[in-house]
Amino acid sequence: MGIETTAPKSTMISGKVKGYIILIALVVVSWAVFKVITPNNFGSPENMLSYLQASLIAATGAIGFYFVMVMGMFDFSIGANIMLSAIVGCVLATKLNLGYFGLVAGCIITGALVGLVNGSFYVKLRIPSMIVTTGLALIYESIANYIAGGVVQTLPADLRAFGQMPGDIILAVVAFVVAYLILNYTKIGTYTYAIGSNEFVTKNMGINVNKYKVLAFIISGAFLGTMAILTISYGSSMVAVTGMASMSRNFVPTMGCFFGLAFRKYGIPFPAIIIGEFVINIIFFGFIALGAPTAIQDVITGLALLIIITLTTRVNKGEIVK
Amino acid sequence: MSEVRLQIKNLCKSFGITRAVQDVSFDIMKGEVHALIGENGSGKSTLTNCLTGIYSKDSGQFILDGKEINPRNQVEANDEGVSIIVQELGTLDSLTVAENIFLGHENKFVKFGIKNTAAMNSQANDLLKQYGFDRIKASEMVDSYNFEDRKLVEIVKATYFNPKIVVVDETTTALSQEGREELYKHINRIREEGNTVIFISHDLQEVLRMSDSITVLRDGVYIDTVKSADVNEDDLKKLMVGREVSGSYYRADYGEAVSDEVVLTAKGVTVPGLIQDISFELHKGEILGFGGLSESGMHEVGKAVFGASFDREGSVTLSDGTGIKDIPTAIAHSMAYTSKDRDNESVVMNQGIGDNICLPSLDSISNKAGILMSKKMKEFAGKHAATMSVKMVNTDQFVSDLSGGNKQKVVLARWIGKDSDILVLDSPTRGIDIKVKQDIYQLMDRMRKEGKSIIMISEEMAELIGMCDRILIMKDGRINAELMRDPNMDENKLIEQMV
Repeated sequence: MGIETTAPKSTMISGKVKGYIILIALVVVSWAVFKVITPNNFGSPENMLSYLQASLIAATGAIGFYFVMVMGMFDFSIGANIMLSAIVGCVLATKLNLGYFGLVAGCIITGALVGLVNGSFYVKLRIPSMIVTTGLALIYESIANYIAGGVVQTLPADLRAFGQMPGDIILAVVAFVVAYLILNYTKIGTYTYAIGSNEFVTKNMGINVNKYKVLAFIISGAFLGTMAILTISYGSSMVAVTGMASMSRNFVPTMGCFFGLAFRKYGIPFPAIIIGEFVINIIFFGFIALGAPTAIQDVITGLALLIIITLTTRVNKGEIVK
Repeated sequence: MSEVRLQIKNLCKSFGITRAVQDVSFDIMKGEVHALIGENGSGKSTLTNCLTGIYSKDSGQFILDGKEINPRNQVEANDEGVSIIVQELGTLDSLTVAENIFLGHENKFVKFGIKNTAAMNSQANDLLKQYGFDRIKASEMVDSYNFEDRKLVEIVKATYFNPKIVVVDETTTALSQEGREELYKHINRIREEGNTVIFISHDLQEVLRMSDSITVLRDGVYIDTVKSADVNEDDLKKLMVGREVSGSYYRADYGEAVSDEVVLTAKGVTVPGLIQDISFELHKGEILGFGGLSESGMHEVGKAVFGASFDREGSVTLSDGTGIKDIPTAIAHSMAYTSKDRDNESVVMNQGIGDNICLPSLDSISNKAGILMSKKMKEFAGKHAATMSVKMVNTDQFVSDLSGGNKQKVVLARWIGKDSDILVLDSPTRGIDIKVKQDIYQLMDRMRKEGKSIIMISEEMAELIGMCDRILIMKDGRINAELMRDPNMDENKLIEQMV
């Protein structure tokens, strides 16, 4: 007979259900608030479908970024990566006449290469990932600007299938399935959590921690490349900005990733990222419907996000939060 | 029993200028439990960490069944047939029980890059069932289990593949009696199967009970290997310390009256789900013990008294009427607390020994302008580190470099430096060697005589009986019995009230 053991505090099923209930409640509440304030030009079923489509774009990048964040690292070059990948994909598709193949392969491979460079510099230089990726973001912006030749890169209408239904949904769903498989059904997923939990012990288990850190950046980059396909297809063009202006693109995927981290304890990080991005977009489009000035939109969006994450992240008493 | 399993030849390992293991050579046989003993910092854990690939050795050889092995990590050590159960927590949060058991060995469940989680869970569940731990579920996150259960998961992880050598590194100090018995059962099983256990423990009674042979290390140097049947505790103490451990071990006095002056009163202290309606008085110059099973709530009592519990109800009041509701108030009113969870709750691992010792005393060390002079800090830290005989290069050395026992000495040096009047010591001698244990007992006795009051929480019944004026036995979160100091008291009297 074994000794008495403590049963887990809650089963994963009830945890998951609870997580979904909170997420769905957030969707309903954010929709209801704006629907009451501006009933005529917000929140119809058609509107909600378009918000969902917009949210899938950022969610695609956020699920990749999740691998980096769970390991305890950060990436400030997300926006620069999306911009560079989109420009390379667009140039390959249009100027080299490679069509959809050029767009898809160009974006994803460029994204993954950016991830490889980020990860390699991080493990070789042994300096914090935030600093490495901030420095590299400047370089990626300059490369993008050079490739674009200072000109707006536009994707022709006949190459924009991923900017509308069903192309965008298909690509996003494929990305989610791949990310889900990697996280739950490969060693990479196990090691991602292990490194995030205790890097020293993981190393002692014979796991090449640096290799998996680089791999996390590559995976993140590839998914950000996929986000670049959706971004340029949805918006039809991309401008190569410099001087860290690309960082404005960091916000939405990063926020979605925070939802994933907050709901990890419920066992539903990816659904949380997808639904979290949806909530962010509902709030964003709600403000547009209200005609609120951009500055006010940013202030309230920021505050709303802090409130949502605070309310949904139930930190155990005494738990250290950094 | 006579066949050599592991030859350790001229092993050396240094950390900077500290020579942790110096030219150590001895043999370990097949089918034996071979204990490794020595004071804190004697090199026991360093040696086994080299054997299991956690550290790389500087020179020397490990020859296992006639073949030299040089594992670079635990997985390579496992592949050679060597595994380890570590002193502190060795499982990883955010992974399931099954993922923890097979961490580093996932390949057998992976086909075309895809991991067969169902097969992994199924095999882990089978193993847990075999070990009698079937209440632990392979698919659950390991975070949802308590410390003891996670240790059981480690036992499975370290032994399921039938290793030739299993290192048990001071694991028992972290376990309750039930957990220890479970571990002993598996140690005996491994021996009966013809394999070897290297058993590290500071509990000499346990060492004598469990082992066949005992190797003694002192200051990183090999001293002797003896047959357990041929020695007693005193022989071992002498070998470890290098001289007779003279004088009384525990307090020798009985029948001394404790002062009537009450320095601390706890009334109806409750922490939901952990302890309920705890009331007691602590007298001046008294050592008040709290005993019980690991999960009885006794460890929470220490936190609650110190103002470190969340959602605490009831009151803790000092003699001057001050209510203790938070840690700053407790420290400001001359209270001190050492946690059982040393690494996470007591020491700041990535800071120097000096900083750790000075931490609560910075106000008194700084000058009137609030400026801290490094010379004064060093003097302060050096003095109190020396009182506790911390084995160190200097006070700038990081605490993370120290052995478990030396970390505990740093914690105690901190509160000695603070000169607190009320000390709450949770498991103060956990993982500490025999010589320093004696020093701590003598220090407590001296403090008691100086009028300081001590709450001593311990899972070691012998030290409660030996040191306390009064023992409160906890059961299911409540005080179940009060036992007064008595020369005729034995462990059975305590056990009766615990279970």
